[in-house]
Amino acid sequence: MGDPGAFNSYYPTFLRYIGTAIVLGLLIYLTYQGLRKLGVKREAATGFALITPWLIGRILLTAFPILLSFYLGFTEYNILWDEPRSLKDPLFNYKRALSFKIVEFDKDERVSIAKLGQLEAEGPDIVRYRELDSVVIGDTRYVIAATDVYLWRAIWLTLRYAVLSIPLGMAGALAVALLLNQNVKGVGYWRTLYYLPAVLPAAAVALLWFWLFAPNRGLINWALGPIYDLTNSEPLGWFTDKNLVLPSFVIMSMWGIFGANTVILLAGLKNIPPDLYEAASIDGAGNWVKFRHVTIPMLSPTLFYVLIMGVIGALQLFTEQAFIPTEREDGWFVNWFLYNEAFNFGRMGYASAVGWLYAVFIIAITLLVFRSSAAWVFYEGAREKEAGGA
Amino acid sequence: MATETSAQVLPYDEMARRHRIETILTRAIIYALLLIGAAIILIPFLWMVSTSLKVERQLFEWPPRWIPDPVAFENYWNAWEQLGSIAPGLTFWRIIGNTLFITVLAMFGEMFSAAVVAYGFARFRFKGRDVLFFIMLSTMMIPGVLTRVPSFLIWREVGLLNTYDPLTLPAWTAWGPAYVFLLRQFFLTIPREMDEAAIIDGANPVQIFFYVMLPLVKPAFLAIGVLAFQGNWNNFEGPLIYLNTTQLFPLILSIQFFQQSLSKEAPKWHYMMAMATMMAAPILLLFFMAQRYFIEGLNVGAVKG
Repeated sequence: MGDPGAFNSYYPTFLRYIGTAIVLGLLIYLTYQGLRKLGVKREAATGFALITPWLIGRILLTAFPILLSFYLGFTEYNILWDEPRSLKDPLFNYKRALSFKIVEFDKDERVSIAKLGQLEAEGPDIVRYRELDSVVIGDTRYVIAATDVYLWRAIWLTLRYAVLSIPLGMAGALAVALLLNQNVKGVGYWRTLYYLPAVLPAAAVALLWFWLFAPNRGLINWALGPIYDLTNSEPLGWFTDKNLVLPSFVIMSMWGIFGANTVILLAGLKNIPPDLYEAASIDGAGNWVKFRHVTIPMLSPTLFYVLIMGVIGALQLFTEQAFIPTEREDGWFVNWFLYNEAFNFGRMGYASAVGWLYAVFIIAITLLVFRSSAAWVFYEGAREKEAGGA
Repeated sequence: MATETSAQVLPYDEMARRHRIETILTRAIIYALLLIGAAIILIPFLWMVSTSLKVERQLFEWPPRWIPDPVAFENYWNAWEQLGSIAPGLTFWRIIGNTLFITVLAMFGEMFSAAVVAYGFARFRFKGRDVLFFIMLSTMMIPGVLTRVPSFLIWREVGLLNTYDPLTLPAWTAWGPAYVFLLRQFFLTIPREMDEAAIIDGANPVQIFFYVMLPLVKPAFLAIGVLAFQGNWNNFEGPLIYLNTTQLFPLILSIQFFQQSLSKEAPKWHYMMAMATMMAAPILLLFFMAQRYFIEGLNVGAVKG
């Protein structure tokens, strides 16, 4: 307090902040007047004028960056440079990201980098193939080599994380929501309690779990102590162990995501009309049949929403990783990998190219989930429409 | 009467007794499961608070110590003192100021612009409205990786890197589609007669917006306020990319900086947990005060969508 630096860094932004609001207000007003002059009806002119702040924001800060990013993907651009430089081979970034090959070695032969070779495309630097994995069949070792092994490891880690954490998180949240739906006393308090981890900032959750999982004297390894003693094994390394990075992240995600999804699913459960259960009971349905044929279909729109949010979230995990410094060798999540490529390793062009590929991939997966919804998501409104039409 | 003919049919009160036992057993299992869940949630949380109040030598006590002795409240201050020693000018108060400045400005811009845009989408008919609304919802799917690098370059081009502008100014453009969606749903439920009555009384759209519409959607407006506060308070990627002078760092970035520079080799868990607790405290407080709005905001997308 009382430090002049603070004031100097706040007030220019504050002035521009107010200025932006005034400019956008004027934009609304001028759009309205302009449209009226062109003979547009009052209602239409007002409506369109009111959404112009959003429209201008999305053109300047979403559409334009996306196109710019596409262009940058075909250039070389170090963060220290003022401008991007053109590449001799415009597809160099894409080749660098995607090239892989299988090289045969004798079973006992050492895998030599020289034999793996290098990327033939002409670019700013020489990119060598590196070993990603290998399989031995008979006397031959087939080495799968890629030009960017870190990217493939990141994708592999992120995908496995999504495939594990989303269904586990959803099942767990559903179980808790079902429990809370059993006329439990003080539902409000339980709900608050279960929602707690979801309110905690991701950064705090990550730090906390990094500490709980500390290999040396963390609370979890202490709790597992008797098991280690019994099996005579070394304490697990969790986030520091190459093979346990993934499970550690999954366990952490379940703790955090549980709550929000539980609350959403609980609201969904409360929305199911009780007469459906009564009708099922009269027809002699047991608990399982009711769950399978009433609860799940009626809850499917909510489950669908939770799934979509889960997919989008898991594939873009970022903050948690920033607070849990795992080794690059052991696998970074794709989003963190791309951030580092662009801002720490000076490859903004490359990061843009891979970012584009990855974005297309995420959107494709999301659309796939949307497409699949027709098969398993049950919309009561849609059913009523059909019934009404018949 | 029936008991004589069939041994399987139990007398009425025997059946009732069994049923009661079954019910009690089921309830017992339900509460036991709920308690286990509560323990899973509370133990890590309490461990965070407990660690944040320990002196350094008690950090690694074995078995773990739950109640710190002495209770080291000074951690909450010393952590920032130590951070200040490598980041000159980054004092406790400076961090609070930075965080609140970003959070409040961005939150207010987001709330207000979302309301204006949602009002436009909900209450007026114009050509292309539904297409634009669909586009708005689709922007939720655009991954951040796509715009990160070019956004950085755009702000660098206009010379506003290392200021709070990239974190606050765009909030005015209703950058949260979910908030617009939520408010629009509420605007849609207001009967048309409201607008018409106000127009007959001589109100213009600006007056209708402020005096009729906003008061009517107040719960939703406050719900997005709460969500926007939380979102900006927790925003890590933005400050990480746009700010590089340590003096400008908000809380979340200061914590990461502390971890990266002072706590990498020998983690100072007591300081880090104190920082994590401070990061969480305002959000928890907000949650307990305005739980209704949190839950409302959370549910609208799922149930109405």
